[in-house]
Amino acid sequence: MSPQFDSLKQLWDMAGHGPYVWTAVLVSLAVLGWLLIRPVQQHRDNLQSIARQSQRQQLQQAASTSSAEPSEEDK
Amino acid sequence: MAAGRNWNWFHRMGSPRWFYETTGRWLPWLWVLTLGLMLTGLIWGLAYAPQDAKQGNSFRIIYLHVPASFLALAGYYLMAIAGAIGLIWKMKLSYMVMKSAAPIGAALTFIALFTGAVWGKPTWGTYWVWDARITSMLILLFLYLGVLALQYAFHSQETGNKASAILALVGTVNIPIIYKSVDWWYTLHQPATIKFTSAPSMHMDMFQPLLVMIIAMYSFYGLALILYTRVEILRRERKSSWVRELALRTQPAQVDQ
Repeated sequence: MSPQFDSLKQLWDMAGHGPYVWTAVLVSLAVLGWLLIRPVQQHRDNLQSIARQSQRQQLQQAASTSSAEPSEEDK
Repeated sequence: MAAGRNWNWFHRMGSPRWFYETTGRWLPWLWVLTLGLMLTGLIWGLAYAPQDAKQGNSFRIIYLHVPASFLALAGYYLMAIAGAIGLIWKMKLSYMVMKSAAPIGAALTFIALFTGAVWGKPTWGTYWVWDARITSMLILLFLYLGVLALQYAFHSQETGNKASAILALVGTVNIPIIYKSVDWWYTLHQPATIKFTSAPSMHMDMFQPLLVMIIAMYSFYGLALILYTRVEILRRERKSSWVRELALRTQPAQVDQ
């Protein structure tokens, strides 16, 4: 097994087929990358919004049960 | 009661929480495996594999085109089977897997069509032709998009799930047509390079990186499917206590007033 191209320039040109090969590679990698990045972002956003909502509910409950004297945790 | 115990694994597998926690342990390994294989296969195929005697360097597109096409087809079966399990056993998790498979399948089908078009120009002299294989792949793309669209077309999640599952099942008719199209209609698209029944019709030095890319794409598919399904689990189970505890445990305090 040996490299088929002597330089990066040759690898990029691919004896004239470079534009086709690299377009296919770059577009494919962009789509594949997008497929992985999107759920990772959504996962993080979902967890954050669920956490925010839960904390708000906890605070509301704490406020309604002991509205007269705020406890240490509320500060 | 013995029968009930035998089905325990099945019910546990249907539990979104069990799926979420188990796959959470697999994820780091799957990321490493996917990225490692993908990088190895691409560098091997693009820079080290010998060029094709007839097609020259343009044949290197095969290292993305064939793996993406494989998974576009296998993913459709997976989506239809998940839909069928959902319809028969009313398993929530199964519908979530079905929904997650749709965007991944659509993207892979797009890659198969796009790389095929770019490969077609230097090889056939045209980007597009209404060849049987290409046309049936285009139909596959629309089936994936249809399943995805039906998920959002109804107010009730239940109805959307059933409609998607039925479309997915009906669409499976298209899959054998895609496989057989290159043999039934001998048109422009070349016959399959790899068959289970015979040796691959390509040189070993070209075939090995292709095999690495196919395994890489399977690994990628598993990773993507797990990631999308976990998002769906969080979304549908956001009111349940285990998700809220998880969110509070992993996210720093956000409420400022």
